Amino acid sequence: MRTHWTRHRLSHLGLVALAWLTFAVGAGPAGAAGTFRIAVGVDLDTVDPAQMTTTTVANMVDYVIETLTAMSPDGKIQPWLAESWTLSPDGLTYTFKLRKGVVFHDGTPFDAKAVKWNFDRLKDPQVRVPIRAPFPIKEAEVVDASTVKVTLTRPSSPFVSALSWTTSAMVSPAAADKQGNEYKNIVHAVGTGPYVFKERKKGESFTVTLNDKYWGKKPTYDTVVFRIVPEAATRESLLLAGQVDLIVLPPIADVPALQRNSAVKLLLAPSDRTIFISMNTTKQFLGDVRVRQALNYAVDKKAIIQNVLFGAADEMDAPMAPSLFGYCKVGSYEYNPAKAKQLLTEAGVKPGTKISFHHPTGRYVQDKEASQAVAGYLREVGIEPELQTMDWPSYVSIINAGPAEKSVHQLAYLGWAPAFLDAAQQVLQYWSGYHPPAGLATTFYKNPKVDEWVVAADRESNQDKRKELYCEISKQVWADAPWLFLYVQRFPIVYSAKVTDVGSLPNEKFSAIYARPAN
Amino acid sequence: MSLFRQYLAQRLLASAVTLLGVSIIVFLMVRLLPGDPAQVLAGLLATEEDVARLRADLGLNKPLHIQYGVFLERLLHGNLGRSARTSQPVLEELKPRLRATLTLAVVSAVLASLAGVAAGALAATRPYSRFDYVLSLATLFGVSMPTYWLGLMLIIVFAVHLNWLPAAGSEGAASLILPALTLAAFSVALIARMTRASMLEVLGQEYVRTARAKGVGETLVVARHALRNALVPILTVAGLQFGTLLGGAVLTESVFGWPGMGLLLIESIFSRDYAMVQGIVLVFSTLFILTNLAVDLLYVAIDPRIRYT
Amino acid sequence: MAGLVLLVSLFALAVAAPLLTSHNPERQKLSEALRPLSPAHPLGTDHLGRDMLARLLYGGRLSLLIGFLAVGLGVVVGVPLGAVSGFRGGLTDLVIQRLADILLSFPGFLLALSLVAILGVGLRNVIISVGISAVPSFIRLVRGSVLSIREQVYVEAAHAIGQRRTVIIFWHVLPNAMAPVIVQATLSLGFAILVAAGLGFLGLGVQAPTPEWGTMLGEGRQYIFRAPGLTMYPGLVIFLAVLGFNLFGDGLRDALDPRMSRV
Repeated sequence: MRTHWTRHRLSHLGLVALAWLTFAVGAGPAGAAGTFRIAVGVDLDTVDPAQMTTTTVANMVDYVIETLTAMSPDGKIQPWLAESWTLSPDGLTYTFKLRKGVVFHDGTPFDAKAVKWNFDRLKDPQVRVPIRAPFPIKEAEVVDASTVKVTLTRPSSPFVSALSWTTSAMVSPAAADKQGNEYKNIVHAVGTGPYVFKERKKGESFTVTLNDKYWGKKPTYDTVVFRIVPEAATRESLLLAGQVDLIVLPPIADVPALQRNSAVKLLLAPSDRTIFISMNTTKQFLGDVRVRQALNYAVDKKAIIQNVLFGAADEMDAPMAPSLFGYCKVGSYEYNPAKAKQLLTEAGVKPGTKISFHHPTGRYVQDKEASQAVAGYLREVGIEPELQTMDWPSYVSIINAGPAEKSVHQLAYLGWAPAFLDAAQQVLQYWSGYHPPAGLATTFYKNPKVDEWVVAADRESNQDKRKELYCEISKQVWADAPWLFLYVQRFPIVYSAKVTDVGSLPNEKFSAIYARPAN
Repeated sequence: MSLFRQYLAQRLLASAVTLLGVSIIVFLMVRLLPGDPAQVLAGLLATEEDVARLRADLGLNKPLHIQYGVFLERLLHGNLGRSARTSQPVLEELKPRLRATLTLAVVSAVLASLAGVAAGALAATRPYSRFDYVLSLATLFGVSMPTYWLGLMLIIVFAVHLNWLPAAGSEGAASLILPALTLAAFSVALIARMTRASMLEVLGQEYVRTARAKGVGETLVVARHALRNALVPILTVAGLQFGTLLGGAVLTESVFGWPGMGLLLIESIFSRDYAMVQGIVLVFSTLFILTNLAVDLLYVAIDPRIRYT
Repeated sequence: MAGLVLLVSLFALAVAAPLLTSHNPERQKLSEALRPLSPAHPLGTDHLGRDMLARLLYGGRLSLLIGFLAVGLGVVVGVPLGAVSGFRGGLTDLVIQRLADILLSFPGFLLALSLVAILGVGLRNVIISVGISAVPSFIRLVRGSVLSIREQVYVEAAHAIGQRRTVIIFWHVLPNAMAPVIVQATLSLGFAILVAAGLGFLGLGVQAPTPEWGTMLGEGRQYIFRAPGLTMYPGLVIFLAVLGFNLFGDGLRDALDPRMSRV
């Protein structure tokens, strides 16, 4: 009887043959009449830049709205809507020179007034801005039509990097009350980007069309359609069948096969995303550091990476990804179930104790399966996790519930990706000022020393001193273990071999605005 | 009053009562959930004010029958509340999804009826032959097959390996084929069995033997007399199957990512959007009741024994 | 009959599960994930390294359990209601019939799904939901039988002697109405397994790590290209089990009462 492998190999041989046949016959063109089709796994929860939390959503909305600075593929920050900037000696005021001749999609000019409007909105407490912390804006001032002065409430070295993140993207003030928009909630984003917001079908698709008045290099495709396909296997089927041109996060089990398939190209992009189990330190025994360390020893992370993620991740050795500024290697919690059991007994945790374990599905690579695997390991040391699967928006609202007394979750599978590769954003997770509902430090972890260091590092203008501070934070947090540290995820992007110029950014974004047919 | 009119009135009344009953059950459904109904309906993403507003709107402090009255009145005006997930009116969200599910169900029903009747009729004219035996086996398989498994296998074969048909989504007519086939599988089997059985019964009856004795051609006999009289129970089953198709659509839509009501129901259950769940359940059962009513009336209308009174 | 053979083998395998495999169906071993067939794992392993054969066998126990309990619920509730409804007639009949209609106005799978949405997921609620969906068909069936039996001579005779109504129902009427009930119960068993597995497939039934055929099918979906066995085997056994019950039910119907309508 054939084994799985032979059957599998034969099936893929057949697949490749058919793919070439399709190529030759020309069936299933890579986008009829210049349409580029992308399949993603999560629906947009919002198109309002201020409310952005999810990288994939920001990735899509980036086609339409733009920021003052932008990240290049190597992670460096470059000028974008702002051509240049200077910083005052006290480190509190930035003066931005804006790019001239840029217009919003509704024809209104992109100028200092628009920038001020957007920044005012960003700091307005009435507007929901989940990722407000990196933007400590005191005031924005119009100097002239293309110059803006931004004064901060405190010195913040990562500010310019932060401006590359979609939260601070510029939308047209004139459109804030049109097409269903309200000041507090933008549902139809009018920006300056290379594509214009055309249509959004909730749960189905998001379509954008080419902006002929774009200030920069024009993309090749007239239309880009983002299809919302929560099932990874379905995304893969769509790509293999030629019905979409690019997908993210295929079923990770198929990564080896996709790498061998010449009809598609696979990119295992390095990312900044740490994946962990957040332990709510205010619930049950999770307040005891011995328990948290025990849980860290209880799980065999290497095995999960190998067998559940098929090698598409790297083990964590610090509370942040190596690609961040401020990273320093701290240590490891090796797989030691005996030690875990011992620590649990010491802490007085009885075998069979139940604990709730919330996890999303379709959001992170193998989130559900990895959660199951982790739950399995926890069971082996005597804890009974009750798995709760949720879709992403509901999951976020659960873990965002605060303050601590109102929080619901105990264990929560979560990822954290500092969008501008700076430890400043990572350490928010360990700062008591970021507890829900203000932010997503879902552990409610509080260590006054760490708090002090976080604040100090954010103000520190000497980069070396900043690095030192972040190293101290890392060491302390590692020992306190508010997280079950799992791994640093890779970001798999797969696209049709018929297109080219597809890349990635190290902050888990696919870069396909300038994709074009391969000739 | 003619017998038919009497029957019509009876059935209409019964359906109305059933509809009312369903609305009561659905109304109670949400209140059975643990927690404050306003919080439950407003959903996880709602703010305190949203919940308070909803509580006032639903009149939760008023006695239950008054709440129900409000509920019913709103229902009759097409107000099914707002989705907790998207804050849009439930009815608005449902319209495109309903269209998608109906498209799928109707196409499947037509496929299943045509194929089922044809196969069943053919088998009835050749009872106990090899064809008949194969058909029996096939129909048995059809009613025992888990639709979701069938769907997955069809995707593997036709979409991935052969690349003839789309694997998911709803663009273009081609994407309808696999889901329709999957959904129709169970019904085809049932309709084929029914057709064969009732046709066999008819074929054995007196007037058919008389027609045969008169020397009318075999096929003609089958076509005109047998099929027409066997049509009645076949129609009944086919009509009822439409209702089953609506229910089975949930699983098929899940496998193929077909954006219909079934898929929305599943998503709503996962996101705890009970306002939406409530709305979908109401629409499904209303459709089902109406379908049954239509079948009942059609049955009576076609059956010549009742028509002339 | 083929059906009987299928079923008996199914039962035997399920009951003998602990003897046939030493693997714990819930024990994960990541280093053994997605292995093909081997002597240690006759049907390979799933994505968490759990033995497929063990999961299928123990899953069989679970499916049979769900089937019996659910249909049992349907019978225990539906049969007396149907009997009372048919025997008494009048208002009781009308009310019970309307109740059955209401339950039946949720097409098939949908009723179970809605109930699970309200009650929550998990084994207990799956049994309750599937059970409730089975109730109305029993009500209808028994009522029909009772209506025809009611007119029989021996019932009138019993009534004439002065036996109480309830006694008449349970001693004379019901036993004679049992034949179609048994047939329906058998067929319902197949349907119950199908529905429970459907709920599991959607992730709304029996929850991981408990092995249930439908849940296994749903979990295996994303490995469909790499390890198709994860979906093949659970699907196949669901099919075989339902087939078995359908065959057996058909056979029973033929044996017990060849006059019953063939649908």
